[in-house]
Amino acid sequence: MINLQAVCYVRLGTADLDGATRFATHYLGLEIAHRAKDAVYLKSDQREHTLCYFAGSPADQTAAFEVRDRADLETAACELERLGRRVRLASAEEAELRRVRSFIAFEDPSGNKIELVWRPAYGSRRYHGERDAGITGFSHIGLCTTDAARDEAFWTEVCNARVSDRIGDAALLRIDEVHHTIALFPTDRAGIQHINHQVATGDDVMRSFYFLAERRVPMVFGPGRHPTSSARFLYFEGPDGMVFEYSSGVREIADELLYRERQLPFDPKGFCEWGAKPQIKEFRNRTNG
Amino acid sequence: MVALEQLRYVCLPADDLDRAADFAQRILALQPIDRTQDLATFRSDFRDYTLAFVTGKNAVQSVGLEVRYSDDLDAALAALARLGLPATRGSAEDCALRKVKDMISFADFSGNRIELVVRPLNSGWRYFPSRDAGITGLADVILRSIDVEKDLSIWSGILNAQVSDWAGDATYLRFDRAHHRIVLFPAARAGILCVEYAVEDVNLLMRNHYVLRDLQVAVVHGPGRRPASEQLFLTFAGPKDVHFGFVAEGALIDEERHRPRQFPAGPAGLCGWGSECKIAEFNDAASARTRQTGSVASAKA
Repeated sequence: MINLQAVCYVRLGTADLDGATRFATHYLGLEIAHRAKDAVYLKSDQREHTLCYFAGSPADQTAAFEVRDRADLETAACELERLGRRVRLASAEEAELRRVRSFIAFEDPSGNKIELVWRPAYGSRRYHGERDAGITGFSHIGLCTTDAARDEAFWTEVCNARVSDRIGDAALLRIDEVHHTIALFPTDRAGIQHINHQVATGDDVMRSFYFLAERRVPMVFGPGRHPTSSARFLYFEGPDGMVFEYSSGVREIADELLYRERQLPFDPKGFCEWGAKPQIKEFRNRTNG
Repeated sequence: MVALEQLRYVCLPADDLDRAADFAQRILALQPIDRTQDLATFRSDFRDYTLAFVTGKNAVQSVGLEVRYSDDLDAALAALARLGLPATRGSAEDCALRKVKDMISFADFSGNRIELVVRPLNSGWRYFPSRDAGITGLADVILRSIDVEKDLSIWSGILNAQVSDWAGDATYLRFDRAHHRIVLFPAARAGILCVEYAVEDVNLLMRNHYVLRDLQVAVVHGPGRRPASEQLFLTFAGPKDVHFGFVAEGALIDEERHRPRQFPAGPAGLCGWGSECKIAEFNDAASARTRQTGSVASAKA
Protein backbone atom coordinates (compact mmCIF):
# COMPACT_ATOMS: atom_id res chain seq x y z
CA MET A 1 0.00 0.00 0.00
CA ILE A 2 1.33 3.41 -0.98
CA ASN A 3 0.42 5.86 1.77
CA LEU A 4 -0.18 9.28 0.29
CA GLN A 5 -0.06 12.01 2.96
CA ALA A 6 -0.97 15.09 0.96
CA VAL A 7 -0.95 16.55 -2.53
CA CYS A 8 2.25 18.51 -2.69
CA TYR A 9 2.66 20.46 -5.91
CA VAL A 10 1.84 20.57 -9.58
CA ARG A 11 4.35 21.12 -12.35
CA LEU A 12 3.11 22.55 -15.63
CA GLY A 13 5.04 23.08 -18.84
CA THR A 14 4.30 26.25 -20.77
CA ALA A 15 5.47 27.89 -23.98
CA ASP A 16 5.01 31.32 -22.40
CA LEU A 17 6.64 31.33 -19.01
CA ASP A 18 6.24 35.08 -18.51
CA GLY A 19 2.54 34.99 -19.42
CA ALA A 20 1.88 32.02 -17.18
CA THR A 21 3.72 33.70 -14.31
CA ARG A 22 1.71 36.86 -14.80
CA PHE A 23 -1.53 34.89 -14.67
CA ALA A 24 -0.46 32.93 -11.61
CA THR A 25 0.50 36.04 -9.67
CA HIS A 26 -1.74 38.89 -10.85
CA TYR A 27 -4.89 36.87 -11.52
CA LEU A 28 -4.71 33.67 -9.51
CA GLY A 29 -3.04 35.52 -6.64
CA LEU A 30 -0.05 33.28 -5.93
CA GLU A 31 3.32 34.55 -4.74
CA ILE A 32 6.64 33.87 -6.45
CA ALA A 33 8.67 31.68 -4.12
CA HIS A 34 11.75 31.51 -6.26
CA ARG A 35 12.84 31.56 -9.87
CA ALA A 36 15.15 29.04 -11.41
CA LYS A 37 16.51 28.65 -14.93
CA ASP A 38 13.43 28.38 -17.16
CA ALA A 39 11.08 27.80 -14.23
CA VAL A 40 9.05 29.78 -11.72
CA TYR A 41 8.02 28.33 -8.37
CA LEU A 42 4.84 29.69 -6.82
CA LYS A 43 3.63 29.69 -3.27
CA SER A 44 0.02 29.44 -2.03
CA ASP A 45 0.40 28.51 1.63
CA GLN A 46 3.01 27.69 4.23
CA ARG A 47 4.76 25.26 1.87
CA GLU A 48 7.80 26.50 -0.05
CA HIS A 49 5.94 26.12 -3.33
CA THR A 50 2.84 24.33 -4.58
CA LEU A 51 2.90 25.19 -8.30
CA CYS A 52 5.76 25.27 -10.77
CA TYR A 53 5.61 26.60 -14.31
CA PHE A 54 8.55 25.58 -16.47
CA ALA A 55 9.46 26.28 -20.09
CA GLY A 56 8.31 23.22 -21.96
CA SER A 57 5.35 21.51 -23.55
CA PRO A 58 1.95 22.40 -22.00
CA ALA A 59 1.14 18.69 -22.23
CA ASP A 60 3.96 17.98 -19.77
CA GLN A 61 2.10 18.00 -16.45
CA THR A 62 3.00 16.36 -13.18
CA ALA A 63 1.30 16.04 -9.80
CA ALA A 64 3.24 15.24 -6.65
CA PHE A 65 2.18 13.58 -3.40
CA GLU A 66 4.00 13.51 -0.13
CA VAL A 67 4.90 10.29 1.69
CA ARG A 68 5.87 10.08 5.33
CA ASP A 69 9.15 8.17 5.37
CA ARG A 70 12.01 7.52 3.00
CA ALA A 71 11.20 3.82 3.33
CA ASP A 72 7.77 4.58 1.86
CA LEU A 73 9.49 5.58 -1.36
CA GLU A 74 11.20 2.20 -1.58
CA THR A 75 8.06 0.28 -0.70
CA ALA A 76 6.13 2.27 -3.28
CA ALA A 77 8.78 1.68 -5.95
CA CYS A 78 8.71 -2.10 -5.30
CA GLU A 79 4.93 -2.19 -5.35
CA LEU A 80 4.73 -0.20 -8.59
CA GLU A 81 7.39 -2.32 -10.30
CA ARG A 82 5.61 -5.46 -9.21
CA LEU A 83 2.54 -4.10 -11.03
CA GLY A 84 4.65 -3.51 -14.11
CA ARG A 85 4.89 0.26 -13.82
CA ARG A 86 8.22 1.86 -14.65
CA VAL A 87 9.63 3.78 -11.69
CA ARG A 88 12.45 6.30 -11.77
CA LEU A 89 14.42 7.41 -8.73
CA ALA A 90 15.23 11.05 -9.23
CA SER A 91 18.74 12.51 -9.03
CA ALA A 92 19.81 14.76 -6.17
CA GLU A 93 19.77 17.79 -8.50
CA GLU A 94 16.19 17.15 -9.54
CA ALA A 95 15.18 16.80 -5.91
CA GLU A 96 17.00 20.02 -5.06
CA LEU A 97 15.15 21.84 -7.84
CA ARG A 98 11.84 20.76 -6.34
CA ARG A 99 13.02 21.57 -2.81
CA VAL A 100 12.40 18.00 -1.67
CA ARG A 101 14.80 15.54 -0.08
CA SER A 102 14.09 12.65 -2.41
CA PHE A 103 11.45 11.53 -4.89
CA ILE A 104 10.42 8.84 -7.32
CA ALA A 105 8.50 9.35 -10.55
CA PHE A 106 6.06 7.07 -12.35
CA GLU A 107 2.93 7.15 -14.47
CA ASP A 108 -0.48 6.03 -13.29
CA PRO A 109 -2.46 3.62 -15.52
CA SER A 110 -3.89 6.51 -17.57
CA GLY A 111 -0.41 7.91 -18.11
CA ASN A 112 -0.60 10.77 -15.62
CA LYS A 113 2.89 11.75 -14.45
CA ILE A 114 3.07 11.33 -10.69
CA GLU A 115 5.88 12.05 -8.26
CA LEU A 116 6.09 10.75 -4.72
CA VAL A 117 8.17 13.05 -2.61
CA TRP A 118 9.76 12.82 0.81
CA ARG A 119 10.41 15.86 2.99
CA PRO A 120 9.15 18.67 0.78
CA ALA A 121 10.33 22.07 2.02
CA TYR A 122 8.15 24.39 4.05
CA GLY A 123 8.68 28.11 4.02
CA SER A 124 9.63 30.04 7.12
CA ARG A 125 7.75 33.03 5.76
CA ARG A 126 3.99 32.88 5.34
CA TYR A 127 2.28 33.21 1.96
CA HIS A 128 1.38 36.73 0.92
CA GLY A 129 -0.35 36.79 -2.45
CA GLU A 130 0.13 39.26 -5.26
CA ARG A 131 -3.53 40.21 -4.85
CA ASP A 132 -5.95 39.59 -1.98
CA ALA A 133 -7.64 36.48 -3.32
CA GLY A 134 -8.05 35.04 0.17
CA ILE A 135 -6.18 31.86 -0.78
CA THR A 136 -5.58 29.52 2.15
CA GLY A 137 -3.74 26.92 0.14
CA PHE A 138 -3.37 24.48 -2.73
CA SER A 139 -5.87 21.76 -1.94
CA HIS A 140 -6.70 19.26 -4.65
CA ILE A 141 -6.37 18.25 -8.28
CA GLY A 142 -8.64 16.83 -10.93
CA LEU A 143 -6.86 14.04 -12.79
CA CYS A 144 -7.80 12.74 -16.21
CA THR A 145 -8.61 9.09 -16.50
CA THR A 146 -9.06 7.00 -19.63
CA ASP A 147 -10.67 4.19 -17.59
CA ALA A 148 -12.44 5.32 -14.45
CA ALA A 149 -12.87 1.89 -12.86
CA ARG A 150 -9.25 0.88 -13.48
CA ASP A 151 -7.85 4.14 -12.12
CA GLU A 152 -10.18 4.17 -9.13
CA ALA A 153 -8.82 0.72 -8.28
CA PHE A 154 -5.25 1.98 -8.68
CA TRP A 155 -5.72 4.93 -6.33
CA THR A 156 -7.78 3.05 -3.76
CA GLU A 157 -6.11 -0.37 -3.80
CA VAL A 158 -2.49 0.31 -4.69
CA CYS A 159 -2.61 3.65 -2.91
CA ASN A 160 -4.52 4.58 0.25
CA ALA A 161 -7.23 6.79 -1.29
CA ARG A 162 -10.92 6.24 -0.37
CA VAL A 163 -13.94 7.09 -2.48
CA SER A 164 -15.89 9.99 -0.92
CA ASP A 165 -18.55 10.30 -3.63
CA ARG A 166 -19.04 9.58 -7.30
CA ILE A 167 -20.47 11.89 -9.94
CA GLY A 168 -21.39 9.39 -12.62
CA ASP A 169 -18.16 7.41 -12.90
CA ALA A 170 -16.01 10.29 -11.73
CA ALA A 171 -14.71 9.30 -8.31
CA LEU A 172 -13.83 11.93 -5.72
CA LEU A 173 -11.03 10.48 -3.61
CA ARG A 174 -9.76 11.45 -0.17
CA ILE A 175 -6.45 10.65 1.43
CA ASP A 176 -7.16 12.49 4.67
CA GLU A 177 -10.20 14.16 6.24
CA VAL A 178 -10.75 16.57 3.37
CA HIS A 179 -13.61 15.37 1.15
CA HIS A 180 -11.34 14.97 -1.87
CA THR A 181 -7.73 15.50 -2.81
CA ILE A 182 -7.92 13.69 -6.15
CA ALA A 183 -10.92 13.78 -8.48
CA LEU A 184 -10.82 11.39 -11.42
CA PHE A 185 -12.57 12.63 -14.56
CA PRO A 186 -13.16 10.22 -17.43
CA THR A 187 -11.82 11.66 -20.68
CA ASP A 188 -9.69 10.76 -23.67
CA ARG A 189 -6.32 12.03 -22.49
CA ALA A 190 -3.90 11.98 -19.61
CA GLY A 191 -3.06 15.09 -17.62
CA ILE A 192 -4.23 17.38 -14.89
CA GLN A 193 -7.87 18.31 -15.40
CA HIS A 194 -8.06 21.12 -12.83
CA ILE A 195 -6.11 22.67 -9.99
CA ASN A 196 -7.89 23.76 -6.84
CA HIS A 197 -6.96 26.42 -4.33
CA GLN A 198 -9.05 26.91 -1.22
CA VAL A 199 -10.07 30.44 -0.30
CA ALA A 200 -11.11 31.63 3.14
CA THR A 201 -14.80 32.40 2.58
CA GLY A 202 -17.62 32.31 0.08
CA ASP A 203 -17.16 36.07 -0.18
CA ASP A 204 -13.66 35.48 -1.56
CA VAL A 205 -15.09 33.18 -4.24
CA MET A 206 -17.52 35.90 -5.31
CA ARG A 207 -14.99 38.72 -5.15
CA SER A 208 -12.69 36.72 -7.42
CA PHE A 209 -15.60 35.98 -9.74
CA TYR A 210 -16.13 39.69 -10.36
CA PHE A 211 -12.40 40.48 -10.36
CA LEU A 212 -11.61 37.84 -12.98
CA ALA A 213 -14.74 38.38 -15.07
CA GLU A 214 -13.90 42.08 -15.30
CA ARG A 215 -10.49 41.10 -16.68
CA ARG A 216 -12.06 38.80 -19.24
CA VAL A 217 -10.72 35.60 -17.73
CA PRO A 218 -12.90 32.85 -19.25
CA MET A 219 -15.33 31.57 -16.61
CA VAL A 220 -16.03 27.92 -17.24
CA PHE A 221 -18.20 26.94 -14.28
CA GLY A 222 -19.89 28.77 -11.44
CA PRO A 223 -20.13 30.49 -9.10
CA GLY A 224 -21.81 27.43 -7.66
CA ARG A 225 -21.90 24.94 -4.86
CA HIS A 226 -20.98 21.27 -5.07
CA PRO A 227 -23.63 18.93 -3.65
CA THR A 228 -20.84 16.41 -2.97
CA SER A 229 -18.33 18.38 -0.92
CA SER A 230 -20.67 21.31 -0.10
CA ALA A 231 -17.91 23.69 -1.23
CA ARG A 232 -18.74 26.93 -2.98
CA PHE A 233 -16.73 27.06 -6.19
CA LEU A 234 -15.61 28.98 -9.24
CA TYR A 235 -13.78 27.45 -12.20
CA PHE A 236 -11.92 29.55 -14.73
CA GLU A 237 -9.38 29.03 -17.45
CA GLY A 238 -5.72 29.87 -17.10
CA PRO A 239 -2.75 29.59 -19.48
CA ASP A 240 -2.70 26.70 -21.98
CA GLY A 241 -6.34 25.90 -21.24
CA MET A 242 -5.66 24.70 -17.69
CA VAL A 243 -8.73 24.98 -15.49
CA PHE A 244 -8.24 26.55 -12.06
CA GLU A 245 -10.73 26.40 -9.23
CA TYR A 246 -11.28 28.43 -6.11
CA SER A 247 -13.46 26.87 -3.48
CA SER A 248 -14.45 27.40 0.10
CA GLY A 249 -16.17 25.31 2.73
CA VAL A 250 -15.17 21.83 1.61
CA ARG A 251 -16.64 19.11 3.77
CA GLU A 252 -14.45 17.07 6.07
CA ILE A 253 -15.06 13.41 6.71
CA ALA A 254 -14.13 12.75 10.29
CA ASP A 255 -15.72 9.37 10.78
CA GLU A 256 -14.19 6.84 8.41
CA LEU A 257 -16.33 4.02 9.79
CA LEU A 258 -19.72 5.65 9.42
CA TYR A 259 -19.14 7.50 6.18
CA ARG A 260 -20.75 6.02 3.11
CA GLU A 261 -20.02 7.37 -0.37
CA ARG A 262 -22.94 8.59 -2.46
CA GLN A 263 -23.74 8.38 -6.14
CA LEU A 264 -24.63 11.63 -7.90
CA PRO A 265 -25.80 12.07 -11.47
CA PHE A 266 -23.30 13.04 -14.14
CA ASP A 267 -25.18 16.16 -15.18
CA PRO A 268 -25.13 19.83 -14.12
CA LYS A 269 -27.22 19.00 -11.02
CA GLY A 270 -24.60 16.51 -9.87
CA PHE A 271 -21.93 19.18 -10.09
CA CYS A 272 -23.85 22.22 -8.80
CA GLU A 273 -26.78 22.56 -6.44
CA TRP A 274 -27.34 26.19 -7.36
CA GLY A 275 -27.98 25.61 -11.04
CA ALA A 276 -24.72 26.67 -12.69
CA LYS A 277 -23.92 24.78 -15.88
CA PRO A 278 -20.36 23.66 -16.55
CA GLN A 279 -18.51 24.68 -19.71
CA ILE A 280 -15.77 22.19 -18.89
CA LYS A 281 -15.39 19.32 -21.32
CA GLU A 282 -14.75 16.69 -18.66
CA PHE A 283 -17.82 17.79 -16.67
CA ARG A 284 -20.11 17.56 -19.68
CA ASN A 285 -19.25 14.41 -21.57
CA ARG A 286 -19.55 11.03 -20.05
CA THR A 287 -17.26 9.45 -22.61
CA ASN A 288 -14.71 10.51 -25.17
CA GLY A 289 -15.33 13.60 -27.21
CA MET B 1 -43.23 59.66 18.91
CA VAL B 2 -45.00 56.82 17.13
CA ALA B 3 -43.43 53.37 17.25
CA LEU B 4 -43.41 51.34 14.05
CA GLU B 5 -44.13 47.67 14.60
CA GLN B 6 -43.55 46.10 11.22
CA LEU B 7 -43.09 46.63 7.55
CA ARG B 8 -46.36 45.24 6.19
CA TYR B 9 -46.89 45.66 2.49
CA VAL B 10 -46.01 47.34 -0.72
CA CYS B 11 -48.70 48.40 -3.14
CA LEU B 12 -47.72 48.95 -6.77
CA PRO B 13 -49.75 50.16 -9.74
CA ALA B 14 -49.67 47.75 -12.68
CA ASP B 15 -50.23 48.50 -16.35
CA ASP B 16 -51.22 44.94 -16.98
CA LEU B 17 -52.48 43.11 -13.91
CA ASP B 18 -52.10 39.67 -15.49
CA ARG B 19 -48.49 40.32 -16.38
CA ALA B 20 -47.76 41.71 -12.90
CA ALA B 21 -49.44 38.72 -11.28
CA ASP B 22 -47.45 36.35 -13.45
CA PHE B 23 -44.27 38.14 -12.34
CA ALA B 24 -45.24 37.86 -8.68
CA GLN B 25 -45.96 34.16 -8.94
CA ARG B 26 -43.49 32.82 -11.45
CA ILE B 27 -40.48 35.09 -10.94
CA LEU B 28 -40.85 36.20 -7.33
CA ALA B 29 -42.41 32.90 -6.24
CA LEU B 30 -45.09 34.54 -4.10
CA GLN B 31 -48.41 32.90 -3.34
CA PRO B 32 -51.52 34.47 -4.88
CA ILE B 33 -54.17 35.43 -2.30
CA ASP B 34 -56.89 37.83 -3.50
CA ARG B 35 -57.70 38.63 -7.06
CA THR B 36 -60.28 41.06 -8.40
CA GLN B 37 -60.43 43.00 -11.64
CA ASP B 38 -58.12 45.68 -10.35
CA LEU B 39 -56.32 44.11 -7.39
CA ALA B 40 -54.00 41.14 -6.95
CA THR B 41 -52.33 40.42 -3.61
CA PHE B 42 -49.51 38.02 -2.79
CA ARG B 43 -48.26 36.32 0.35
CA SER B 44 -44.62 35.83 1.25
CA ASP B 45 -44.82 34.90 4.93
CA PHE B 46 -47.12 35.01 7.98
CA ARG B 47 -48.68 38.25 6.76
CA ASP B 48 -51.86 37.86 4.75
CA TYR B 49 -50.14 39.65 1.90
CA THR B 50 -47.01 41.73 1.45
CA LEU B 51 -47.35 42.73 -2.17
CA ALA B 52 -50.37 44.16 -3.93
CA PHE B 53 -50.65 45.08 -7.58
CA VAL B 54 -53.46 47.49 -8.43
CA THR B 55 -54.84 48.97 -11.62
CA GLY B 56 -57.32 51.72 -12.31
CA LYS B 57 -57.22 55.47 -12.06
CA ASN B 58 -56.86 55.49 -8.27
CA ALA B 59 -53.89 53.15 -8.31
CA VAL B 60 -50.96 54.63 -6.41
CA GLN B 61 -47.69 53.35 -5.06
CA SER B 62 -47.56 53.00 -1.29
CA VAL B 63 -45.68 51.37 1.54
CA GLY B 64 -47.67 50.03 4.49
CA LEU B 65 -46.26 50.02 8.02
CA GLU B 66 -47.93 48.75 11.14
CA VAL B 67 -48.42 50.72 14.35
CA ARG B 68 -50.08 49.22 17.41
CA TYR B 69 -53.07 51.39 18.31
CA SER B 70 -55.44 53.89 16.73
CA ASP B 71 -54.06 56.38 19.28
CA ASP B 72 -50.75 56.10 17.49
CA LEU B 73 -52.48 57.17 14.31
CA ASP B 74 -53.89 60.24 16.10
CA ALA B 75 -50.44 61.10 17.38
CA ALA B 76 -48.97 60.64 13.90
CA LEU B 77 -51.66 62.87 12.38
CA ALA B 78 -50.86 65.64 14.85
CA ALA B 79 -47.09 65.33 14.39
CA LEU B 80 -47.34 65.30 10.61
CA ALA B 81 -49.53 68.40 10.76
CA ARG B 82 -46.79 70.13 12.77
CA LEU B 83 -44.36 69.37 9.91
CA GLY B 84 -46.93 70.77 7.48
CA LEU B 85 -47.66 67.42 5.89
CA PRO B 86 -51.33 66.72 5.19
CA ALA B 87 -52.43 63.25 6.22
CA THR B 88 -55.80 61.60 5.85
CA ARG B 89 -57.63 58.97 7.84
CA GLY B 90 -58.60 55.97 5.77
CA SER B 91 -62.30 55.29 5.27
CA ALA B 92 -63.90 51.99 6.25
CA GLU B 93 -63.69 51.02 2.60
CA ASP B 94 -59.97 51.85 2.45
CA CYS B 95 -59.40 49.73 5.55
CA ALA B 96 -61.38 46.81 4.19
CA LEU B 97 -59.47 46.90 0.94
CA ARG B 98 -56.16 46.68 2.83
CA LYS B 99 -57.49 44.21 5.43
CA VAL B 100 -56.66 46.51 8.36
CA LYS B 101 -58.68 47.95 11.26
CA ASP B 102 -57.62 51.56 10.98
CA MET B 103 -55.22 53.59 8.89
CA ILE B 104 -53.87 56.96 7.87
CA SER B 105 -51.94 57.87 4.75
CA PHE B 106 -49.62 60.70 3.85
CA ALA B 107 -46.92 61.63 1.35
CA ASP B 108 -43.41 62.32 2.62
CA PHE B 109 -41.51 65.42 1.50
CA SER B 110 -40.37 63.64 -1.66
CA GLY B 111 -43.89 62.46 -2.49
CA ASN B 112 -43.70 58.81 -1.44
CA ARG B 113 -47.03 57.63 -0.12
CA ILE B 114 -46.78 56.04 3.30
CA GLU B 115 -49.66 54.23 5.00
CA LEU B 116 -49.71 53.58 8.72
CA VAL B 117 -52.06 50.75 9.60
CA VAL B 118 -53.45 49.21 12.78
CA ARG B 119 -54.17 45.50 13.16
CA PRO B 120 -53.33 44.34 9.64
CA LEU B 121 -54.43 40.81 8.90
CA ASN B 122 -52.11 37.92 9.55
CA SER B 123 -52.73 34.62 7.87
CA GLY B 124 -53.52 31.55 9.88
CA TRP B 125 -52.23 29.53 6.98
CA ARG B 126 -48.57 29.49 6.18
CA TYR B 127 -47.10 30.75 2.95
CA PHE B 128 -46.89 28.01 0.35
CA PRO B 129 -45.50 29.02 -3.05
CA SER B 130 -45.53 27.02 -6.24
CA ARG B 131 -41.78 27.44 -6.71
CA ASP B 132 -39.37 26.69 -3.88
CA ALA B 133 -37.57 30.03 -3.77
CA GLY B 134 -36.96 29.77 -0.03
CA ILE B 135 -38.58 33.12 0.74
CA THR B 136 -38.85 33.86 4.44
CA GLY B 137 -40.61 37.21 4.14
CA LEU B 138 -40.71 40.82 3.06
CA ALA B 139 -37.39 42.24 4.22
CA ASP B 140 -37.08 45.89 3.27
CA VAL B 141 -38.03 48.62 0.86
CA ILE B 142 -35.69 51.11 -0.79
CA LEU B 143 -37.38 54.47 -1.31
CA ARG B 144 -36.17 57.23 -3.57
CA SER B 145 -35.89 60.55 -1.79
CA ILE B 146 -35.29 63.95 -3.33
CA ASP B 147 -34.36 65.32 0.08
CA VAL B 148 -33.10 62.66 2.45
CA GLU B 149 -32.48 65.13 5.24
CA LYS B 150 -36.08 66.35 5.23
CA ASP B 151 -37.63 62.92 4.82
CA LEU B 152 -35.52 61.75 7.70
CA SER B 153 -37.32 64.26 9.90
CA ILE B 154 -40.45 62.12 9.44
CA TRP B 155 -38.77 58.76 9.88
CA SER B 156 -36.63 59.58 12.88
CA GLY B 157 -38.61 62.56 14.14
CA ILE B 158 -42.10 61.04 14.16
CA LEU B 159 -41.84 57.33 13.43
CA ASN B 160 -38.93 56.60 15.75
CA ALA B 161 -36.83 54.84 13.13
CA GLN B 162 -33.09 54.70 13.89
CA VAL B 163 -30.34 55.38 11.39
CA SER B 164 -28.24 52.20 11.09
CA ASP B 165 -25.71 53.37 8.50
CA TRP B 166 -25.16 55.66 5.56
CA ALA B 167 -23.79 54.75 2.11
CA GLY B 168 -23.07 58.12 0.60
CA ASP B 169 -26.27 59.95 1.55
CA ALA B 170 -28.39 56.82 1.29
CA THR B 171 -29.75 56.22 4.77
CA TYR B 172 -30.49 52.80 6.23
CA LEU B 173 -33.34 52.95 8.76
CA ARG B 174 -34.35 50.33 11.29
CA PHE B 175 -37.20 49.94 13.71
CA ASP B 176 -36.68 46.35 14.80
CA ARG B 177 -33.63 44.13 15.13
CA ALA B 178 -32.94 43.98 11.40
CA HIS B 179 -30.22 46.29 10.11
CA HIS B 180 -32.79 48.16 8.06
CA ARG B 181 -36.39 47.97 6.89
CA ILE B 182 -36.41 51.21 4.92
CA VAL B 183 -33.66 52.80 2.90
CA LEU B 184 -33.91 56.41 1.75
CA PHE B 185 -31.92 56.67 -1.45
CA PRO B 186 -31.09 60.09 -2.89
CA ALA B 187 -32.71 60.50 -6.30
CA ALA B 188 -34.16 63.10 -8.61
CA ARG B 189 -37.71 61.88 -8.12
CA ALA B 190 -39.88 60.02 -5.64
CA GLY B 191 -41.00 56.41 -5.84
CA ILE B 192 -40.13 52.94 -4.65
CA LEU B 193 -36.72 51.91 -5.98
CA CYS B 194 -36.67 48.33 -4.82
CA VAL B 195 -38.75 45.82 -2.87
CA GLU B 196 -36.68 43.12 -1.21
CA TYR B 197 -37.65 39.67 -0.03
CA ALA B 198 -35.47 37.65 2.32
CA VAL B 199 -34.55 34.10 1.34
CA GLU B 200 -33.23 31.44 3.69
CA ASP B 201 -29.54 31.51 2.94
CA VAL B 202 -26.83 31.96 0.37
CA ASN B 203 -27.77 28.69 -1.35
CA LEU B 204 -31.31 29.87 -2.01
CA LEU B 205 -30.06 33.26 -3.16
CA MET B 206 -27.70 31.70 -5.67
CA ARG B 207 -30.24 29.10 -6.77
CA ASN B 208 -32.65 31.94 -7.47
CA HIS B 209 -29.88 33.68 -9.38
CA TYR B 210 -29.64 30.77 -11.80
CA VAL B 211 -33.43 30.35 -11.98
CA LEU B 212 -33.79 34.04 -12.89
CA ARG B 213 -31.09 33.62 -15.52
CA ASP B 214 -33.01 30.69 -17.03
CA LEU B 215 -36.21 32.77 -16.92
CA GLN B 216 -34.32 35.56 -18.71
CA VAL B 217 -35.00 38.08 -15.97
CA ALA B 218 -32.72 41.12 -16.18
CA VAL B 219 -30.46 41.16 -13.12
CA VAL B 220 -29.55 44.78 -12.43
CA HIS B 221 -27.26 44.37 -9.43
CA GLY B 222 -25.51 41.43 -7.83
CA PRO B 223 -25.25 38.80 -6.66
CA GLY B 224 -23.30 40.80 -4.15
CA ARG B 225 -22.85 41.64 -0.49
CA ARG B 226 -23.70 45.00 1.05
CA PRO B 227 -20.88 46.28 3.24
CA ALA B 228 -23.25 48.08 5.62
CA SER B 229 -25.95 45.48 6.29
CA GLU B 230 -23.85 42.43 5.34
CA GLN B 231 -26.83 41.32 3.29
CA LEU B 232 -26.28 39.14 0.26
CA PHE B 233 -28.39 40.63 -2.47
CA LEU B 234 -29.63 39.96 -5.97
CA THR B 235 -31.61 42.77 -7.56
CA PHE B 236 -33.62 42.36 -10.74
CA ALA B 237 -36.09 44.19 -12.92
CA GLY B 238 -39.79 44.13 -12.06
CA PRO B 239 -42.76 44.52 -14.38
CA LYS B 240 -42.55 48.34 -14.25
CA ASP B 241 -39.96 50.76 -12.90
CA VAL B 242 -39.76 49.16 -9.46
CA HIS B 243 -36.92 46.69 -8.94
CA PHE B 244 -37.23 43.58 -6.84
CA GLY B 245 -34.56 41.85 -4.85
CA PHE B 246 -33.74 38.74 -2.90
CA VAL B 247 -31.58 39.19 0.19
CA ALA B 248 -30.07 36.83 2.74
CA GLU B 249 -27.83 36.77 5.80
CA GLY B 250 -28.30 40.39 6.87
CA ALA B 251 -26.78 41.57 10.12
CA LEU B 252 -28.87 42.04 13.25
CA ILE B 253 -28.31 45.21 15.22
CA ASP B 254 -27.12 45.26 18.78
CA GLU B 255 -28.84 48.43 20.02
CA GLU B 256 -26.38 48.88 22.86
CA ARG B 257 -23.28 48.86 20.74
CA HIS B 258 -24.27 49.91 17.24
CA ARG B 259 -23.17 53.26 15.94
CA PRO B 260 -24.18 54.51 12.46
CA ARG B 261 -21.26 54.27 10.08
CA GLN B 262 -20.55 56.17 6.87
CA PHE B 263 -19.87 54.00 3.79
CA PRO B 264 -18.85 55.32 0.35
CA ALA B 265 -21.38 56.57 -2.19
CA GLY B 266 -21.89 54.62 -5.39
CA PRO B 267 -21.32 50.94 -6.18
CA ALA B 268 -18.28 50.67 -3.91
CA GLY B 269 -20.42 51.41 -0.87
CA LEU B 270 -23.17 49.07 -2.01
CA CYS B 271 -21.28 45.90 -2.89
CA GLY B 272 -18.23 44.40 -1.27
CA TRP B 273 -17.78 41.85 -4.02
CA GLY B 274 -17.54 44.19 -6.98
CA SER B 275 -20.72 43.18 -8.79
CA GLU B 276 -21.89 45.13 -11.80
CA CYS B 277 -24.56 47.72 -10.99
CA LYS B 278 -27.07 48.81 -13.60
CA ILE B 279 -29.30 50.85 -11.29
CA ALA B 280 -28.95 54.49 -12.30
CA GLU B 281 -29.55 55.89 -8.81
CA PHE B 282 -26.90 53.62 -7.29
CA ASN B 283 -24.27 54.67 -9.83
CA ASP B 284 -25.35 58.25 -9.54
CA ALA B 285 -25.36 58.51 -5.76
CA ALA B 286 -22.58 61.07 -5.64
CA SER B 287 -24.12 63.43 -8.17
CA ALA B 288 -27.59 63.05 -6.68
CA ARG B 289 -26.27 64.83 -3.62
CA THR B 290 -25.93 68.05 -5.57
CA ARG B 291 -29.43 67.80 -6.91
CA GLN B 292 -31.04 67.92 -3.49
CA THR B 293 -32.84 71.19 -3.59
CA GLY B 294 -35.22 70.68 -0.74
CA SER B 295 -38.23 71.28 -2.90
CA VAL B 296 -41.34 69.26 -2.30
CA ALA B 297 -42.32 67.11 -5.24
CA SER B 298 -45.89 66.35 -6.01
CA ALA B 299 -47.13 62.92 -5.10
CA LYS B 300 -46.48 60.32 -7.72
CA ALA B 301 -49.69 58.99 -9.12
